[in-house]
Amino acid sequence: MIVTVISVVFILAGLVFFIGGAVGLIRFPDFYTRTHAAGKGDTLSSLLVILGFSIYQLHDFESFSHDWLTLLVILKLLGISAFILITSPTSTHALMDAGWEDGTKPKIHPDRPNHLNDDCEKF
Amino acid sequence: MIFAFDIIILVFLVVAALISLSVKDLLSASMIYGIYGFLICLLWAEMGAVDVAFTEASVGAGVSTVLLIATVFNTRRRSSD
Amino acid sequence: MLSKVFATIAVAITGSILLYGVSDFPAFGDPHSPANAGVPGSESVSLYFIEESYKDTKVPNLVTSVLADYRGYDTMFETVVIFAAGMAIFAILRVVGNKEEEVSREPVENSFTNGDHSRIIVGTTVRIVVPVIQLFALYVVAHGHHSPGGGFQGGVILGASFIIIALAENLNAALRRLSEQNYVRLAVVGIFIYALFGVMAQVLGRNFLDYGVLAPLLFTDGPEMARSHSMLGVEVGVAFTVTAIMFAIYANLSSRGQLEKGL
Repeated sequence: MIVTVISVVFILAGLVFFIGGAVGLIRFPDFYTRTHAAGKGDTLSSLLVILGFSIYQLHDFESFSHDWLTLLVILKLLGISAFILITSPTSTHALMDAGWEDGTKPKIHPDRPNHLNDDCEKF
Repeated sequence: MIFAFDIIILVFLVVAALISLSVKDLLSASMIYGIYGFLICLLWAEMGAVDVAFTEASVGAGVSTVLLIATVFNTRRRSSD
Repeated sequence: MLSKVFATIAVAITGSILLYGVSDFPAFGDPHSPANAGVPGSESVSLYFIEESYKDTKVPNLVTSVLADYRGYDTMFETVVIFAAGMAIFAILRVVGNKEEEVSREPVENSFTNGDHSRIIVGTTVRIVVPVIQLFALYVVAHGHHSPGGGFQGGVILGASFIIIALAENLNAALRRLSEQNYVRLAVVGIFIYALFGVMAQVLGRNFLDYGVLAPLLFTDGPEMARSHSMLGVEVGVAFTVTAIMFAIYANLSSRGQLEKGL
């Protein structure tokens, strides 16, 4: 029972971050902030949801010798989450880098200091 | 299988198919075709055909999108009709 | 514009006929439909597969046993179709001759991680992830009897790992690991392995691809385990061909048949 409650809390937290990523994808002004919202929100929420799933697998756990198949499922889920933890930020980074090389400029408020033209040559 | 979930995926599937047919930018069309492949994979996995869903996830949503984008990169990006 | 109108009318007519046909279908998963229960007087073939395939082949995954054993002839020529697609890509795209200079495929020292900062991040991730992907692909091929998977899926994942290397650095880095000569050889060897199992069954006096007779060759007791092991061998052949052809299609498409640079 307590295991189910903990896993539901994790999955709901993941869904909240998913909603945050989706709202950010629509509401943010330019390419970089949108990719930022989608990438970070997706990574964290996928990790939380998969963690919730793997905790839920323990709900009828009795002993290690009896339920080792459950542990195998949890190990596979943790493997998936490690894969997401590595690949999802990298793909976000590759997307942003491709946008930068394509010449997409971030939107900067006119009152703010703007160093875009200084840094263009350095990177 | 959950009937309401099937219907929701099916609606998204039809919308993705129509958009990928009607959009002029071929790069966007191939990306949306990848989304279509992923949605039909989800639908098959949800209906219990896990083998077919696995094939679609690796072929349709993975490799064929890369092949389409490689083709678009080496040809024109705008559709002619 | 006029052609679009005609196309829309044709699609609408065909679609309405198909939708009219759908209304006569049995319900989803209905156990009493003719496809599942058979018509009176003749048993359904799917019922036979569901009840008898584990006794015949000792393979728990019903899809694999139907795909690679009962329907093996069809799967063999599916593999040949993929091979023919790769050969068509060669015939259309590959540019042979009139090379200015021979491209050097010498390994550059630590070529993934030198260069600008983006190359470092993506290259390091690819170095970590590609062995895991290839191990998973081999698992999918070898474990296709017991879980979803098989030759096609595993081969596509294995080919995709080479495509990831080509995307992260350039095409030459992937061609150093799987050169053009080697992937053509790999594609041919895959079909040859598949056909070899069929011909061996013929040599031992049964039909083409009737694996049960291969029991003395595979050192198994009884024809059931021979069928199981032959399915594994056949799927390895399919995986070879699909890996080679997927990477060949990407390499030729992305470099316009030059096999240099790529995307």
